Amino acid sequence: MGGQACVLYGAAEFSRDMDLAILASPANLSRLRAVLTELRAEVIAVPAFESKYLRKGHAVHFRCHAPEVNGLRIDVMTKMRGVDPFSKLWQRRVTLRAEGGSSYELMSLPDLVRAKKTQRDKDWPMIRRLVEADYFKYRGRPMPQQLQLWFLELRTPELLIELASKHPAVCRRLAKRRPLLKFAASNNSSGLIDALSEEEEAERLADRNYWSPLKAELEQLRHARLRRG
Amino acid sequence: MISAEELVGEEQAEWYSMTPMERWRESSKLWEVYLSMGGSLDPEPDTQSPFFDPEAPSSRPVDGRSGLRVVRRGGV
Repeated sequence: MGGQACVLYGAAEFSRDMDLAILASPANLSRLRAVLTELRAEVIAVPAFESKYLRKGHAVHFRCHAPEVNGLRIDVMTKMRGVDPFSKLWQRRVTLRAEGGSSYELMSLPDLVRAKKTQRDKDWPMIRRLVEADYFKYRGRPMPQQLQLWFLELRTPELLIELASKHPAVCRRLAKRRPLLKFAASNNSSGLIDALSEEEEAERLADRNYWSPLKAELEQLRHARLRRG
Repeated sequence: MISAEELVGEEQAEWYSMTPMERWRESSKLWEVYLSMGGSLDPEPDTQSPFFDPEAPSSRPVDGRSGLRVVRRGGV
C-alpha cells in the first residue's frame, strides 16, 4: 500500500521500505509473524506487534536482519484515516501477476489515494502523480468510475480544466461532492489552484486531529519503554 | 489536449506510459544500482510522520547520510 504500490501505479520510481495493510485476525497475524521470523524482523520503536494496536490505527514498524533483506524496513497497518475497513479494501484490491508466477495484491487506486491524504508533505505530490498517471493512460476511453476518481481526486489544475470541458455534465454532478470543480468548469485556473491548496490544508488538519490521541498514546508507550529500560 | 510530456516532462511521461510490470522491472534495476553503490535500506527519518520517534534505533550511519558513496566526479 506504500511506495511499492506507488511504483506499480506509476507515481514513484523507487521505494526503500515496504508498507503492508493487513487484516488483524489471529490467523493472519500468526501467518505474518511466521514470515517476519523468517526475515529475522525485529520490532523497532513502539507499539509492540499486537492486534489491539493495529486495530486502533497504529502502525507497527519492523527492521529485517536476514542477509538478503538486511536493514529493510517493513511497516504494517490495518486501519487508516478516511479509508474503508480492510474487508472492503481487500474486495477492491488489484492483483498483478509477474513473470515467474509471483503476484502482488495492491490497494485499489482510489483507496490508495485516500490513504495518502496525510499531514506529510511528501504524500501530496504522490497523490498528484498517482491520479495523473491513471488519467494519461485512460483518458481516451474512461470508465464511469475512472471519471469519478479523476473529478474527485485529480490535483492538477490543467487536467481538471481539461476534464471539465470534456465532461461538463459529470462535472456539474460531482461539484456537489467537490465544490472546487466549479472553478474547473469555469476555466478559473487561479481560483482552482487556491481551492486545491485549501482542500489539501483541510485534509492535513483532519489528519493531525485524527492522530492527536494516537500520538499521545505512542508517547505514553515510549515513556513506559524507557522506564523499563 | 495537454500531453503528459508538456505537463511533467519526458522522463516522467515515459514512466507514466509503462505497464506496472515494466515499472517493477525498471525499479528493480534502480535497486540493484543503489545497493551496489552501498545504498542503505533504511528510509530517511520522516519527521512529519505521526509515527516518527526520535529515539527509535536506526541502522543508518551515525553521520546520517544515506550510505551512497561518490564513485566518480567530473565530466563524462
